[in-house]
Amino acid sequence: MESLNNLMYGFGIALEPMNIAYVFFGVFAGTIIGMLPGLGPISALALMIPITFAMEPSSGLILMAGVYYGAIFGGSTSSILLNAPGVAGTVATSFDGYPMAKQGMAGKALAIAAYASFIGGTVSIVFLMLVAPLLGKVAVSFGPAEYFSLMVLGLTAVVSLSDKSLVKGLIAAVLGVMISIMGIDLQTGTERYTFGSAHLLDGIDFLVVALGIFALAEVFYILLRGGGGKEAPRNAIGSLKLSRSEVSQIAPPIARSSVLGFFTGVLPGAGATIGSFLGYSMEKRLAKDGHTFGKGNIKGVAAPEAANNAACTGSFVPLLTLGVPGSGTTAVLLGALLIMGVSPGPMMLENRPDVFWGVIASMYIGNIFLLVLNLPLIPLIAKILDMPKPMLLSLILIFCMVGVYGMSFSIFDLLLLLGFGLLGLGMRLFGFPTAPLILGLILGAIMEESMRRALQISGGDWSTFIDKPISMWLLIIAALSLLLPLAKRGLTKMRSPAAS
Amino acid sequence: MTRFNTNQWLALIIAVFAAAYLWMAWQIPSFPLPRPVDSDLFPKVLGFTLLALAALLFLERPAEVVSGDEEADAAAQAAREDTARSLLLSPWSRVVVTSLAIVAYALLLVPFGFVLASTLLGFGLSWYFGYRRHAINLVVSLGVVLTLYLTLTRAMGVYLPTGLLPF
Repeated sequence: MESLNNLMYGFGIALEPMNIAYVFFGVFAGTIIGMLPGLGPISALALMIPITFAMEPSSGLILMAGVYYGAIFGGSTSSILLNAPGVAGTVATSFDGYPMAKQGMAGKALAIAAYASFIGGTVSIVFLMLVAPLLGKVAVSFGPAEYFSLMVLGLTAVVSLSDKSLVKGLIAAVLGVMISIMGIDLQTGTERYTFGSAHLLDGIDFLVVALGIFALAEVFYILLRGGGGKEAPRNAIGSLKLSRSEVSQIAPPIARSSVLGFFTGVLPGAGATIGSFLGYSMEKRLAKDGHTFGKGNIKGVAAPEAANNAACTGSFVPLLTLGVPGSGTTAVLLGALLIMGVSPGPMMLENRPDVFWGVIASMYIGNIFLLVLNLPLIPLIAKILDMPKPMLLSLILIFCMVGVYGMSFSIFDLLLLLGFGLLGLGMRLFGFPTAPLILGLILGAIMEESMRRALQISGGDWSTFIDKPISMWLLIIAALSLLLPLAKRGLTKMRSPAAS
Repeated sequence: MTRFNTNQWLALIIAVFAAAYLWMAWQIPSFPLPRPVDSDLFPKVLGFTLLALAALLFLERPAEVVSGDEEADAAAQAAREDTARSLLLSPWSRVVVTSLAIVAYALLLVPFGFVLASTLLGFGLSWYFGYRRHAINLVVSLGVVLTLYLTLTRAMGVYLPTGLLPF
């Protein structure tokens, strides 16, 4: 009952005319940005920060949530139409979506993606509403030691679940933490790694790193791979309508994947990518016609789409209740919130109920907009993919510049942006994942603060991190999250010579 | 002499960086009052962690970096063919020229003003990247820049330099 009252309060905020306009704009902008190959929700959210930083936090987050949903859906559009997933979370969609498009059923695949995203998102919002306050109550009892361990777990989980090298992921995470502690140490007033430059006293702005590492590096990467290359001819979109038998075929996979996706999203580090792959493989195993997966089976589009949207909502649980982002995307969201002056965490529910419930209510509205907006606009939206790449690249560059300069008014930051763009390019070329860097950047300063506070309370005794049961278990899980993939890899290696 | 693989080269660079980072951590002045944890502890932990990770990277066999994007690979191939035609249009030259354009933009933003500098950057880079419909290019670049300028300055009250133009 209390949740329902709170939700009504949230709707009161989300249904304010300006906020509806923001959701609408967010979903639309997110869909378009997410559709552009290479630009996923992280870039979309980073590009939105300069727009939201002057807004009311609830409105800003409402817009961001819309962008997030839109970008995930937009990613599936490019997955289906071009076989070029803008985001890792929509890779699984392309397995059956693109074959459907090649058979002239792109419209149907996009419609299924829209319906599945809508249902996946809506089901998981109900779960979020129920789970988040409960988890928030537990989290209130967390002290600095528990927080530190939780953040270590957040970092290791993201690193261990990335498909790239574990060591490189950890290096990226450490680099992120190193960047986060540059500037004046707020606890002692000591300068660290400023190289005597006044520009670095406040540290490096999160936006500079995020836009550089993601958006600018992506532009460089496209250029390096021959940007502006000839576009492949598109197939006809076809009808958007679904028959009754098709609806009954996709309903159970959508329901199952929505629940699975939500719980995958809640786990730190898992998120939309793992959720969508799990949803896809679960349905492939359960389906009688599992052998047709990968050849244009409609269930192969419905399951990952429901799961990835549900996982997106699920990933808001650790962000809103613990203040710890479970993925690169929610890390960017956290950065945006901090810029707006809101610190998510267990106290947010009490201190800023307008933000918390406003966001949950706006997710419902965002989901409805996603469906209402995207279905009729699908053929039109698909045309944006025909925009000449040279122009697209230069416009992304301008957005990055405006984003950084509009916020810091610093020429130095523009040059830093270029530096991070080149660093992001290097990381991409040498197989370093970038999400851990951004997560390290976001968590680094809070992590250090928690560690120092815990050590101050314990009088410098490091065993405080293992004396407290919650902290100890979090650290054990963190260690396991790193060791298990290594052990699994070792076992596979041992088995493979035997098999051959 | 054994030749290093990519990971080993990267590991060496990262190790040098970690060593420099650690050296700087030791230069951080200590707080006048005794505290259980000072400003230098966390950087030292980070420096040693990075050093250990560099050692692990040195021992790791490099995996092949796959792009997973056939279309991009085809485009890359086409671009490599272009390289033979013009050095200025080779993929790496594009990255270098774009970087230089960003530096020039940063330096000219205040004297030229936001609208002029951004339009020049947008138009110029689109042209350099291969877009040849100049009228459309100019209209789109100017349109987007003006929209951004008006939104930021009028709607959000953010100051952007006017430079040579009166507004």
